[in-house]
Amino acid sequence: MEHLGKEHILVRPEDYDKNFSTLNLGPTHPATHGIFQNILTMNGETIIDAEQTIGYIHRAFEKLAERRAFYQITTLTDRMNYCSSPINNIGWQTTVEKLLGVKTSKRIDYMRIIIMELARISDHLICNSVIGVDSGALTGFVYVFQEREKIYEIYEEICGARLTTNLGRIGGFERDFTPLVIKKIREFIDNLPKVIRQFEKLLLRNRIFMDRTINVGGISAERAINYGFSGPCLRAAGVDYDVRAMNPYSSYNDFEFTIPVGTNGDTYDRFCVRQEEIWQSIKLVKNALENLPEGNFHMDVPEFYLPAKEDVYSKMEALIWHFKIVMGEMDVPVGEVYHSVEGGNGELGFYLVSDGGRTPFRLHFRRPCFIYYQAFPEMVKGSFLSDAILTMSSMNVIAGELDA
Amino acid sequence: MEDSLIQNSLRERFGNQSTAIDEQSDILTITVNKDLIVEVIQFIKDDLGYQFLTDLCGIHYPDQELQLGVIYHLHNFQKNTRIRVKCFTTVANPEIPTLTNLFSAANWMERETYDFFGIDFVGHPNLIRILNVEYLDYFPLRKEYPLEDQTRTDKDDRFFGR
Amino acid sequence: MMSQYTIVEPPEGYSAPGFFATTLDRVVGLARKNSIWPLPFATSCCGIEFMATMGANYDLARFGSERLSFSPRQADLLMVMGTIAKKMGPIVNQVYEQMAEPRWVLAVGACASSGGIFDTYSVLQGIDKVVPVDVYVPGCPPRPEQIIDGFMKIQELVGNESLRRRYSPEYRELLEKYGIK
Repeated sequence: MEHLGKEHILVRPEDYDKNFSTLNLGPTHPATHGIFQNILTMNGETIIDAEQTIGYIHRAFEKLAERRAFYQITTLTDRMNYCSSPINNIGWQTTVEKLLGVKTSKRIDYMRIIIMELARISDHLICNSVIGVDSGALTGFVYVFQEREKIYEIYEEICGARLTTNLGRIGGFERDFTPLVIKKIREFIDNLPKVIRQFEKLLLRNRIFMDRTINVGGISAERAINYGFSGPCLRAAGVDYDVRAMNPYSSYNDFEFTIPVGTNGDTYDRFCVRQEEIWQSIKLVKNALENLPEGNFHMDVPEFYLPAKEDVYSKMEALIWHFKIVMGEMDVPVGEVYHSVEGGNGELGFYLVSDGGRTPFRLHFRRPCFIYYQAFPEMVKGSFLSDAILTMSSMNVIAGELDA
Repeated sequence: MEDSLIQNSLRERFGNQSTAIDEQSDILTITVNKDLIVEVIQFIKDDLGYQFLTDLCGIHYPDQELQLGVIYHLHNFQKNTRIRVKCFTTVANPEIPTLTNLFSAANWMERETYDFFGIDFVGHPNLIRILNVEYLDYFPLRKEYPLEDQTRTDKDDRFFGR
Repeated sequence: MMSQYTIVEPPEGYSAPGFFATTLDRVVGLARKNSIWPLPFATSCCGIEFMATMGANYDLARFGSERLSFSPRQADLLMVMGTIAKKMGPIVNQVYEQMAEPRWVLAVGACASSGGIFDTYSVLQGIDKVVPVDVYVPGCPPRPEQIIDGFMKIQELVGNESLRRRYSPEYRELLEKYGIK
C-alpha cells in the first residue's frame, strides 16, 4: 500500500488487506471536458484515492511566448481558456498597458467591460449546462447553446472570429463598435433573461439535481485558500474574493455589482454562484451599454498600435511606424509586472518580465484551474464515482488552461 | 500595511544581508537567500497576513552568477496588498526548500517549475514531471534549448525565418 | 413545385416500376454514409466548435450521426479535434486500433492536421504521424460549416468505397506503416 502514503488520504488499518480496484478515468472520456487522467483507487463504488496525470495537451505556451512579439501573444492567450477567450485577450493587453504606463479612456474601458462580461456569460453557460449533461439532463444544453450562438455572432461583428477572437489591441481596439454591434448586444441582453429563467426552471430547484449535487465535492474556506482557489469555486466556499472588486481594472469600480457567495463549497453552491454571476453580468452589460461615453477607441501608443491603412499608404511617418512595429524594432521598457483579471475560472494572472527586447524575456500565466485542480483528490475522497464526475464538471476544468 | 512597515519588520527579523528589498517595481519585491526562504515566507504568511499564494514560477537568467530563480507572489486579502519574493540558485546545485507544508497550492506549481527549469525542491512529496512527457531528458524552458522539435521533417526552417 | 427542391441523385443502376437494381457496393455505401456514428475525440478549442456543430443551429445529427459514440468499439468515424501533444499520440493510436473496420479518420483543425500554430517540442505535428487520415479540415478553429463540409467529404468517401478495400494489400501496407495490426 505504499502508493497510498499521501498525507491527505485516510486509509483505516482494517482496510489494509481488502482488495481495492483501480479505475482509469480518462484521458479520453465523455465526461472529462478536455483530456486529463484520473486513476481512481476504489473500494467498490467508493473512491479511496485519486491520482491525476495532466499534460496531455501541453503546448508550451510559455516557451512560445518568448518567441512572439507583444502583439502576437494575443493569439496565444485566446487558446488558454477557449470558452471565454476575450477575457484572456484583454487581460494580456491590460498587462502590457500596465508595463508601458498607458491609461485607457473611459470608452475603451466600458467597451472592454461589455465584451468581458459577455465572455463570462458564455463561459458560465457552458459550465452549467454541461453539469446538467453530466447528470443526465441534456435539454438545458441545447437551449443554452442557441444563446451562445448569438454571443458568437456579436464577436463576429466586433472582431471577425467566433471562438478564438484575438480581440482588441494594446491601447484599445482596432475598430469602434458599429451601430449593428450595439443593436445586437441590446437584443441579446433583452432576450437572455427569459432563456436563463427557462434553464433555471429545469435544474435549479429540481429535486433530482439537488440530491445529486448538494453535499457533493465540498471544500472548506480555509482549505480552499490554502489550495489557491479563486473564482466561482472559492466564492462557493464562502470567501468573497473577486479581482474585479479587489484590484479593479478597466473601470470596474464605476459599476455596482454584487459578488455571490456560497456556504458549503459543494457542487450545488458552485452551480448557483455561476448562475447568479450570469445575472450580475447581464446587469453590468446593460449599465455599461447605457452609459457608454464618447471618445477614442484606441489610445496613442505608436510603438504597438498599427497605424490606419489610409495613413500607411499616404504618410511617411505612418509607413515607418508600420515597418518598425511589424519587424519588431521598437523600444519596450525594461521591467517586470504582474497583472491579473477575473477570468471565468478565477484569477488569471500574467507575470511579464521584459528585458527591452522585442519579445518578452519571461511570460508566466497564472492559470486558475491548474492551481485549484490539485484539490480534486481531497474533494472526492470518500464519495461515489458519479459524485466525482459531477465535482469535476462543476470545477470547470478546461484542458487548454490546465496544461498551457 | 504600508510598504515601509513591512520592510521594517522584515529587516528587524532577518537583518540586511539576507534580504534585499526593491521598491521600483509595481509591487514590493524582496530577494531572499535560499536558506532563509521558508522562514521568510512563513513570517510573511503568519505574521504579516499574506494568506494566499497567488503564484510560483521559475526564471532563468543565463547572464547572472545565480542563474535559476523561483518567484513567489503572495496576497493579503484583508489589507489588499501583494508582495513578490525572489530566490536564486546556481545551475550546478539547483536546490530550494519546498513550500508544500505552508501552502498546498505550491505542490503542482513546484512540479511545473521543476519540469521547466530543473529546480529541485527539497522536501517535495512527489517531485516528478507534470506537463511534459516522462522520458524528456532536458529542462525545456532554460534559455539554451530551442522551441521547436529538432526532429520534425515536415517544416523547412528556411521558410520560417529561424 | 418539385423544381424548388434538390433531390439526391440515386446511384447508377437499372430501375423499373417496383424495383431498383444496382451494385452491392453502392447499396452498402448508401446505407453506411447516412448513418455514420462519430467518435468525437475533442481535445481543445475545436472541440467547442464541434459542440456548436452538434447544437441546434448547425445540427450534425441530420446527417445521420445522431448518436455520438464515445466507445471506439461502436464508432465508425474518429473525429480528432484539437491539438494532439506527444503525450497523447500513443493514445490516439490505441483508440484507432480499437475501432472496428470499416473506420475513417477526420482531422479537424490546423493542430490536428499539421500542428497548427504550435510548432513546439511538445506538440505532434499532425495526427497523420500516428494514424492514417482520410479528410483534413483546416481552420483555427474551423467554422461549423467547414466541419460539416469535411463530414460531407467523408460521406462521399464512404459512399464510393469498394467493399474489398479493407482486405487489399495497399490498405494493409498503410496500416503497417503506422504499426497497427
